[in-house]
Amino acid sequence: MFPKLDPLLHSELRLAVMSILAGVDEADFSFIKKQTGATSGNLSVQIDKLTTAGYITVEKGFKGKMPRTTCKITPAGQEAFSKYVEALKEYLLN
Amino acid sequence: MTAQESLKIISETLNNSRRSILQNNSKGFILWGVLLMVMSLVVYFSWHFTGHAAWNFLWFLMPVIGYPLAILIYKKDSAVPQNFIGKLLGQVWAVFGCFSIVISAIACTLVPIPITFTIVLILGMAECVSGVILKNWPIIIGGFLLGICGAAAAILLKTEAQILLFTIGGAILAATGLIVKYQYK
Repeated sequence: MFPKLDPLLHSELRLAVMSILAGVDEADFSFIKKQTGATSGNLSVQIDKLTTAGYITVEKGFKGKMPRTTCKITPAGQEAFSKYVEALKEYLLN
Repeated sequence: MTAQESLKIISETLNNSRRSILQNNSKGFILWGVLLMVMSLVVYFSWHFTGHAAWNFLWFLMPVIGYPLAILIYKKDSAVPQNFIGKLLGQVWAVFGCFSIVISAIACTLVPIPITFTIVLILGMAECVSGVILKNWPIIIGGFLLGICGAAAAILLKTEAQILLFTIGGAILAATGLIVKYQYK
């Protein structure tokens, strides 16, 4: 019996966002956008979904006069991401 | 999306993100390397042509020039986050910087520590540790040679010629930056 893959992470863009955030303390919206190649609108929607699920936190602020949005993975998000990767490994091994 | 496709997205995103972060770190190596080269040449030629060892006090200008420049350079790419490797590298060089400043201050005021010998040795060690963190053999070997050969040369060379060891150290540091920049391009 294969483990169920988390449907929230089983989406190309959301998975890419979580992969970036899993390797850093926090990342700017602009960095995530550049790395994923997504549009601002689509990225905002997916980030909202991850925030609602409690997988990431979003902090809005200013750096100098420029608005800045920072995303950070939560312990729940880290755990969900690890479980997702483990589940993927089982799919590939069996 | 298949399991293979998911894993591909994860590994590609992680690798791209890691490359961007480490490439950003290369700027620090290049900045401090070039600054070390320039400063050592200025001190060497000033000392050589005037015969005054007091030109060595110019070394204390290095952090005064270097830190604002570093802040300026990294401000441009403030969106690039820091990962574990980047933080570790930063900490290694921050420790080196603290040791260098404190040892220089003590050597100038309290105890006559052989300053070039000590700083070249710890510079080589910091470079070597950076190579270990980056898993890069040329950087490890460069750091090892700089530390060991540089420390030995510091004892053998005439006082003002010792300064040129820092020029070599700066060149190795800048080369490290270029290696990191192109390795993670």
